[in-house]
Amino acid sequence: MGLIKKSRAKSPWIMHFDNSSCNGCDIEVLACLTPLYDVERFGIVNMGNPKHADVLLITGPVNMRTARVLKNLYEQVANPKMVIAVGTCASSGGVFHNCYNVLGGVDKVIPVDVYIPGCAARPEAIIDGVVMALQSLTEQRHLWVTCPHCQTEHEVTDQRWRI
Amino acid sequence: MNQLILVIATIVLAPIVGGLLFGIDRRITARLQGRFGPPILQPFYDILKLLGKDSIAVSKMQFVWIYAYLVLMIASLLCLVLQSDFLVLVFLLGFAGVALVLGGFSTKSPYSHFGANRELLQILAYEPVLLLLAIAIYAQNGTFLISEIVAHEQPLLLPLWPLFIAVLYVLTIKMRKSPFDISTSHHAHQEIVKGITTEYSGPFLALYHLAEWYEIVLVLGVVVLFWANPLWIGLLIAFAAFLLELVVDNIAARMTARWMVRLSWSVGLTLGILNVAYLYIIKGVF
Amino acid sequence: MTDGMMAIAILLPVVAGLLILAIHNYFARGVVVVATAVVLIANSLLFAAKGPLTYTPPAGFDWGTLISVLDYAILVLYLVLGLKLRNRLVLIFSATQIIPIVYFEFFMKAHVDLRPAFVVDHLAIVMTLIISIIGSLICVYAIRYMRDHEQHAHVDKSRQSRFLFWLVLFLGAMNGLVFANNLFWLYFFWEVTTLCSFMLISHDKTQIALENAARALWMNSTGGTAFILAIIYLYATQGGASALSVQNIIGGGMHSAAMLLPVALLCFTGCTKAAQMPFQSWLLGAMVAPTPVSALLHSSTMVKAGVYLVLRLAPAYAGTLVSTAIAIVGAFTFFGTSALAISQTTGKRVLAYSTIANLGLIIACAGINTPLSIAAAILLIIFHAISKGMLFLCAGTIEHQIWSREIEDMEGLASKAPLVTLITAVGMLSMFLPPFGMVLGKWIALEAAYKVPLAAVLFVLASALTIVFWTKWLGRLLQVVPKLGWPLEKLSPSYSVPLWTLFVGIFVVGFGIGPIYQYFIASATSDVIAGNSMIGSGWANIVLTGSSAVQTGAAVRGSFPVWALYLVLGVALFLPMLFFGLKPTQLRQVYLCGEQTGGTDTDEWCAECDIKTKFILGGYYFQATLGEKTLNPWVNSVAIFLLAIMIACGVISK
Repeated sequence: MGLIKKSRAKSPWIMHFDNSSCNGCDIEVLACLTPLYDVERFGIVNMGNPKHADVLLITGPVNMRTARVLKNLYEQVANPKMVIAVGTCASSGGVFHNCYNVLGGVDKVIPVDVYIPGCAARPEAIIDGVVMALQSLTEQRHLWVTCPHCQTEHEVTDQRWRI
Repeated sequence: MNQLILVIATIVLAPIVGGLLFGIDRRITARLQGRFGPPILQPFYDILKLLGKDSIAVSKMQFVWIYAYLVLMIASLLCLVLQSDFLVLVFLLGFAGVALVLGGFSTKSPYSHFGANRELLQILAYEPVLLLLAIAIYAQNGTFLISEIVAHEQPLLLPLWPLFIAVLYVLTIKMRKSPFDISTSHHAHQEIVKGITTEYSGPFLALYHLAEWYEIVLVLGVVVLFWANPLWIGLLIAFAAFLLELVVDNIAARMTARWMVRLSWSVGLTLGILNVAYLYIIKGVF
Repeated sequence: MTDGMMAIAILLPVVAGLLILAIHNYFARGVVVVATAVVLIANSLLFAAKGPLTYTPPAGFDWGTLISVLDYAILVLYLVLGLKLRNRLVLIFSATQIIPIVYFEFFMKAHVDLRPAFVVDHLAIVMTLIISIIGSLICVYAIRYMRDHEQHAHVDKSRQSRFLFWLVLFLGAMNGLVFANNLFWLYFFWEVTTLCSFMLISHDKTQIALENAARALWMNSTGGTAFILAIIYLYATQGGASALSVQNIIGGGMHSAAMLLPVALLCFTGCTKAAQMPFQSWLLGAMVAPTPVSALLHSSTMVKAGVYLVLRLAPAYAGTLVSTAIAIVGAFTFFGTSALAISQTTGKRVLAYSTIANLGLIIACAGINTPLSIAAAILLIIFHAISKGMLFLCAGTIEHQIWSREIEDMEGLASKAPLVTLITAVGMLSMFLPPFGMVLGKWIALEAAYKVPLAAVLFVLASALTIVFWTKWLGRLLQVVPKLGWPLEKLSPSYSVPLWTLFVGIFVVGFGIGPIYQYFIASATSDVIAGNSMIGSGWANIVLTGSSAVQTGAAVRGSFPVWALYLVLGVALFLPMLFFGLKPTQLRQVYLCGEQTGGTDTDEWCAECDIKTKFILGGYYFQATLGEKTLNPWVNSVAIFLLAIMIACGVISK
């Protein structure tokens, strides 16, 4: 299946989701898609729909409402998938980590594979992060393990990927 | 035996040609937009990646309809390649369109629902033009068979040029290019998310893209019919039409579904009816 | 032998109907209906086996006088109904029939005895097969349907016997209609069908049912008036009873220009019975009746009597302006009603508009008047009767599952009632998609339509419109939330036997259309119009031979690979349905921007302030552009204009 693995790295479709950010990181993500940085030459297309996506680009800190939404969207993305937390807020909550409604970074809700710090994260950093995620995307195997007790297959969703 | 080889060759080669056409499409579009763009083999990477995804779905019927879309699209293409009846080709293509729409309708999802309804409007916009083309072909040749179009000395483009212009509208709609990319779009349009393909994922989405590759070969094949003898001129014309669509896509904005139906029915049908009327008066009835 | 066959076809339903009227036990009544059905079906197969014949009833009994007396009785009954319902139009159009008949019988002293009185040719055999088989199946369906209907409506006094009486009686009238050679007797059977229609539409005795039944009555009576005027004209100008023989009219025995006007009037009658524009409102109104009525009268059979008359008379107006006018009347109706069907929100109204549209197509084929188009018309009659009859039965079954007729209420029916949805889906797909027979008929019609190019253009527009409303409706049926394992529903045999028989019938007749055409329908076509229809059919292909493409010398005009297309259908649809399955772990929620509450099969989402809101989808109906209010003034005016032209062409008679 070398061809399919290679294709995974060559055609990462992203879905961008904004938790509750100031939109700074979102604009930087969109900037990546413009002709100046042109990430489409890597095969990256913004799909806007979790069912079509491989890579989730999440910005903004997670609060109680977006936690529900984020979990819902994460479940709708088919494996193999990568989650990239863009910006300091998505990584750890940033300047908002103390707020009463903020739970923290994205990894409080779903497993994150790559963190891209920055406020706002620069397009060059975002591209670097996506490329780093692509390398592990090619390595990702199915997260199915057989339970020794009941002999049925379970999907392991909490495990983070080593790069 | 010959026919069987032709069938197998079509089924195997057409998606390769289609994928390359889509790759060229994205490349040229990117260049028109002042950027580099993905490699020409990109659609193949996309499909392989999709095939490697886990299979998830929202309903069993989703798969049935999208698979039916693929099979019927292949059947229509085979109709063209085996030079069978043109009207049967149009009906099969209609069935394929309906299968796609029903796939969009097979789940209770808002984006899928809007996409499916818009796709129906697209079908409403282009179906009359294709049927009028069939009638005009009959008026010109006395038969609906594609083999006669290919064998005929005089190319169809000369007596059927108004319908050629109408078929360019059909081409725009079928290739899902602005201003007619209403039910789903290749680019990241957030208006209706992904429209009719919203709920498709992984291998099922790969089937949809594969069907699109067959479709583009089929529709450009219909354009080729306008100058089928010698074939290379027809191929050139089809490629020129393809490039024209790319340019139109990049200079036009997506419009409303109603405008699309109105434009297609007023311009497309007027051209078609005038063409058929002209042929009727000049040639009489068979 | 022939005596027995004719008696069974026409008189047995009368006797059985009276018996049913007398029986009040549900099971006994059901047994009588089923027995009648079996006998009628066997009889019609006997007709098919025996082939064409002519028949005149034995001289012992004066049938002619009986028919005249019954005619008067029916017309007087209409007058009484007009008075009771206080409907002026019913009164007027009953009077316009009674007065001419009285004049005809007593002042013109017309003798209307003809030999032969009945002529059964291949077209009549086709019609009687449709009437007997599909009609009987619908009567069987009605047994259980009416019981559930009355239970749901909490009717005090059961009127099922009365309903089944009129339904079964109607079958006899239809058989008489298609066999009749004597135009005056045909008129009688015509009026009986109108009477049955009135009685059945008004069955529920609600205000709206009575109004719609009255409308059906007066509109059909305008046709009846034209009928009787045509009879008088023929008798007066062509001299004598022989002028009233249908075979003579079409046989060219009286081919003179003066005959076109009565023929045009008879075609007008056919158009009213077939609810062509501008008369479509009676058929739409008739949809308030219980579903077996809609299935039997208003899609498979009675309205087919209208197109049967137009088709039967085709040789009489061949090659004239009247023919072209009829083609355009039919084609325009096909177009107009297809557009109107898109805006309808009630399932049965969509089916009604679609019926009228297809009848318009058949009439247009009759008007185009080439052997090819006549063959198309006959094929369309057969396939439409099967498919539309089945669709109406499905609509009735759905109504009795969800107790609503609205399309919006049928959303997600696939998970609630999978079997009915499957049958309905196949029924709908069979109306407008290859490889099914309707598309074969439309394909032949389009290939023949070039002779009247305006009709061809209207066919094209209408075909595009039909795709929209069928797919839209079928989509609403299939719209389900993500959930696996749909339990199959239980259906009573009175519902499932007719449904599954017709379902299998669509495939059997469609798949075997090659040999059926060769051995059976080709003769029906040549009974209507002389000349080779140039349809060659082996077992797997329908090929249109003969072309005047002199440049290329093409030997074949078109080819429709029937079996290959069924194979494609099987591989495309049935193969994945049977062999594809989904595991529960594969199921995901739909994309609702992540706002759903609950699991995959939830249909609630968090709106503003996280308030749980039900997630509602609505269909598209385009009522502003395609609704009846917008379109009716336009299409009705054009239709009236076209019908006037048709009759004017008969007057000018070129």
